[in-house]
Amino acid sequence: MSFSMRTLKTSEAAALLNVSANTLRAWERRFGYPQPQRSAGRHRLYTHGEVTALRDALQQGLSISSAVSRAREALSTDTHTLVGALAGFELDRADSAMESALALRSVERSVEEVLLPSLDELGERYGTNSALWAFAARWADGWLRRAQRLAAPPVRGLAILVGDATRNELDPDALAVRAFELFCGRSGARVMALPVGGLSGLSDVVESLSPDAVVIAGGHVPDDDVALWAYRVRAAAGPLPMALFRRSHHGAKARTTGTRVLPDTPFGAHRQLLGLLDDRQDTRVREVAALSVLEGDRDHWVAQA
Amino acid sequence: MRRLRAVRPVEVDERGLEVVSFCGHCAMAPEPARQAPPSRVCGHCGLGLVLQASAFLAPRHDEPFLVIDTTLSVCAVSAAAEELLDIDETRAVNKHVADFLVPADANAPGAENLLALLVEVAGGSSEPRTTIVRPRQEFGVRFKARIGPCGPPHAALLVLS
Repeated sequence: MSFSMRTLKTSEAAALLNVSANTLRAWERRFGYPQPQRSAGRHRLYTHGEVTALRDALQQGLSISSAVSRAREALSTDTHTLVGALAGFELDRADSAMESALALRSVERSVEEVLLPSLDELGERYGTNSALWAFAARWADGWLRRAQRLAAPPVRGLAILVGDATRNELDPDALAVRAFELFCGRSGARVMALPVGGLSGLSDVVESLSPDAVVIAGGHVPDDDVALWAYRVRAAAGPLPMALFRRSHHGAKARTTGTRVLPDTPFGAHRQLLGLLDDRQDTRVREVAALSVLEGDRDHWVAQA
Repeated sequence: MRRLRAVRPVEVDERGLEVVSFCGHCAMAPEPARQAPPSRVCGHCGLGLVLQASAFLAPRHDEPFLVIDTTLSVCAVSAAAEELLDIDETRAVNKHVADFLVPADANAPGAENLLALLVEVAGGSSEPRTTIVRPRQEFGVRFKARIGPCGPPHAALLVLS
């Protein structure tokens, strides 16, 4: 499994398409394609595969819209390939489909645009209690766990405790939860997932991780069991921001307790959670800075007195 | 060598008819290429590809038009047509032309006449023709439409006037 995806700067993408950078930005507004990611400095980074697919489509197209539609169709072939491979119980071909997806997209987009939609399609087509679903879900779970192991070590100084409230790896929400963990891990956070059923020794784990946030993910475990687990976590770690992921049918209670409900997509959920934690960290840094200024003033006045 | 800037060579098709280039979105004629290879994307609006059609058929700047392929799918909708028909090109692309325009010529033998004409023209084998159409779901409005081949690749151009 390799995560090498070639990206292009705006000027490079514009040169490849033989248009100006302004035109490229106008296409992004009007057609939503090509959809760039952002670099650490907030500059646009275009996926090489998306740009070349559009370039090829433009040569045969009658309008930008039809070329964009054709380019999107070309990119969606990975999903068809993955669905076909899993439906035919071909593990190697499924791995290859994800490799091709990774050549054109980031890991996050490959998971959200290829892996999860393919599994959704299989679930709808064959049912989530079928042998085929079990086969496909196990493969996807394995793929996501492998990707998690290959993620860079945590650099953010943030720790997230995930209370896994899914049934098991065959629960349709379980893959989204694994993807959420993967994205948080790839963003530099330390992530630990524990089933909400395990209460014994929980305080030791919480003490060792010292989490900045707790996410309860999945809708299988009943509210009472989840509440007990959350209570034990809070008893060990003190008040912490709590969020729910893929637990929308339990959302009504959450709104009254101040718990955040994260978006249903793993990428949206991880973005929102990390944004929230970064804001909290900034506030804490500002508070510490203000405190040290006050302490400096006090020392100054004490020295003068 | 001095170049005569005012003199522009006239392009002609295989039948000897004058051919002009225009943008598939704003209908403007492209500026002479300053770069090599010249881009197919319109330098004025950046939202359309440069197409070619016979001078008789090609739209003037304010004329709304649609481009339709041999499967009768809409491939391009000009900015003026988006406004006139209240449709968005990004949503209209790949839909059947009959979702937007239907024949309104009382003397025409059948509804499929327009569609047959479009298929024939999109194949690049017909002279420009004129017919009457109306927007779908609208009964009091009729437009004269010029229909003829355009491209590349081969398609039918339907200009409303």
